[in-house]
Amino acid sequence: MKRLTVLSAFVIAAVTSIVWAATASAPVNLILPSGIFPVRVVEENGELFFSADDLIKGLGGTLSNSEQAYRATVGSVEAAFGTDSKLAIVSDTMLELSRLPVVVDGTPYLPLPFFQTLAKAALRQAVSFTPADRALRLQAIASEPISPQVSVVNLQGMSKVVIQLAAAVDYSIAKDAATYTIRFKAPVRAPFGEQAYDDPHVSRILFLGSDLKIQLTAEDVAGSAYRLDNPFRIVLDLQKGVSSIQEGLVAPPRTETQPQDLPGIRTIVIDPGHGGKDVGATGLKGLLEKDATLAIAQKLSPMLSRRLNVRVILTRTGDSSVSLDERTSIANQYKGDLFLSIHLNAARTKGARGSETYFLSLEASDELARKAAERENRQVMGPTQIETATSSDLRLILWDLAQQDYLKESSHLAEVVQVEMDRASGLPNRGVKQAPFKVLVGATMPAALVEVSFISNEEDEAKLRTPEFQTSIAATLAAAIERFKKEYDARNGLGNAPPVAAKVAPAPTSSTTAPVTQ
Amino acid sequence: MRRFRRFFAVLFLAAACTGRETPQLTTRAVNRVSVRPVTLFFETPQLLLGSEQRNLTLPENEAGALTPVLRELIRGSSNAAVPRSFPPDAVVRATYLMGDGTAIVDLGGATLVNGWSAGSHEELIATFSIVHTLTANFPSVKRVRILVNGQAAETLAGHVALDRSLTPLPSLLAAR
Repeated sequence: MKRLTVLSAFVIAAVTSIVWAATASAPVNLILPSGIFPVRVVEENGELFFSADDLIKGLGGTLSNSEQAYRATVGSVEAAFGTDSKLAIVSDTMLELSRLPVVVDGTPYLPLPFFQTLAKAALRQAVSFTPADRALRLQAIASEPISPQVSVVNLQGMSKVVIQLAAAVDYSIAKDAATYTIRFKAPVRAPFGEQAYDDPHVSRILFLGSDLKIQLTAEDVAGSAYRLDNPFRIVLDLQKGVSSIQEGLVAPPRTETQPQDLPGIRTIVIDPGHGGKDVGATGLKGLLEKDATLAIAQKLSPMLSRRLNVRVILTRTGDSSVSLDERTSIANQYKGDLFLSIHLNAARTKGARGSETYFLSLEASDELARKAAERENRQVMGPTQIETATSSDLRLILWDLAQQDYLKESSHLAEVVQVEMDRASGLPNRGVKQAPFKVLVGATMPAALVEVSFISNEEDEAKLRTPEFQTSIAATLAAAIERFKKEYDARNGLGNAPPVAAKVAPAPTSSTTAPVTQ
Repeated sequence: MRRFRRFFAVLFLAAACTGRETPQLTTRAVNRVSVRPVTLFFETPQLLLGSEQRNLTLPENEAGALTPVLRELIRGSSNAAVPRSFPPDAVVRATYLMGDGTAIVDLGGATLVNGWSAGSHEELIATFSIVHTLTANFPSVKRVRILVNGQAAETLAGHVALDRSLTPLPSLLAAR
């Protein structure tokens, strides 16, 4: 009997410990200014798991679930997790949990770091748990000081002030007489107190606390401001005689560049692929894609200016790094009517040769675009509402929708380029193709990317090195653009449109990777 | 001894009956595995994506099978003449299947993290070999989002946009 009692005690202890492995505890409290909210918890192997239902609701968010994943939304931040994986996603970042989430009576429970990451991303709040009083508390995360970098460039009569930051930050812009004030909603670590500029529109820039003040040379200097991402930049384009500053999305309003509004092909943007640290593909004998694309673009630019009497913008004129976003942003800001990105191809397959031309494939976002269209149909939003109501996804979709208007013309452009390449380059014709190339995504104009030749082919690499071959490719591309312009103008009833006068850009006041006209 | 067994059975039954207070862990992955044929996509001599069948031992749980299938893809074709689609140090760090049919693939390795110098063709082949392999083998995968080192990446090598989910690119597939 004694043995039985001992054994029973052992078994009861064992069973208790199994139950304890994931057991419900008394709820903890989420302490908020608006009240105290109970949050259910379970404990597994000494670690507390918090009810996602309760805590996300307490953070002002929502939780939904489908077959394989739970999706939480707090503010504009989305997070997702599954119950058979330790990986969770908060916004675009993956988070490895210490343990698998558990589901108890249909409610998912997760370790605290998931909620801490979510609250930090969505609310800039730190979540802490105090075991002594079993309380969860939120505390505002003090903003790290931001370190803006400022540059001023003058191009084509316009001054471009670029303020670059390591991360996105809230700010406001106001103009008072001859001064713009950018007020950052974060402490600022100023790179300088005050700096003078020899610029037609900007005389001085100074930092005062969290304010950046741009002093203009005259009161009638004004322009537009916009943001660019990766890295985050605030850009002001300033010129004389503009009534007031307008702050816009990275994507210009669609109405601004609808094809029917275009008076013809007046501005051509040529994008020499890669540059700087990004060398692109490398030939077997060491030729770098970035060098050959630049050489071709520099030969193409004067040909276009001469033959078509158009303004030509190069996205880079030297061996500089220009992000993919920046390339199309340049094209959009200069209201380019045509965008051609020049690249060289590479393959490991022996004997790969030929040229091919791409235009954008938006297949990948068709579904998203449909959703956006539905949303737009349900609710007509003004520009301000779009800015505040949309997530980055929707902005991406609007971007894509704007691009879609130009797909047909982009397809024509790619076709004309490829036909000319086939006729004149002496390279095998690999045809016109579609792909979701990043550099084509943002261009709100007919846009194509030509893969001139395979740099990985030794014979073609040798040719690509020679100025003669580079000139012949440039001439081929110029002929293609000329033909496209002619056909485009005819299609749009612009056959007699007067050509624009060629413009000569004033010398930049500072050296950057800025675009130039030729 | 039989009495003890009966006692344990009653005790466990009692524990189970009072289980209303006991949390039920309902979603632990089932660790069953089975051998199944999978289709992997590699470059063809025509510079398109061609399929290759391979039998793999995989978890029956679909989400758990994504990673081993992609790791097999990254190992390369069984035909030594077919070039590798990925840099030699590329790895699949993790995969994640979302309820809306998006497979999230987290790639890593020094080359991809520090910047892969490749032509657009190589990048298209690498990116879409992942997309086609996952959508061909897993009916619930409708689109693929690729991350690098756990973070959103602009591209793998300067061309293909990774800021969106990708769907198959039929024009890249070789005729069977």
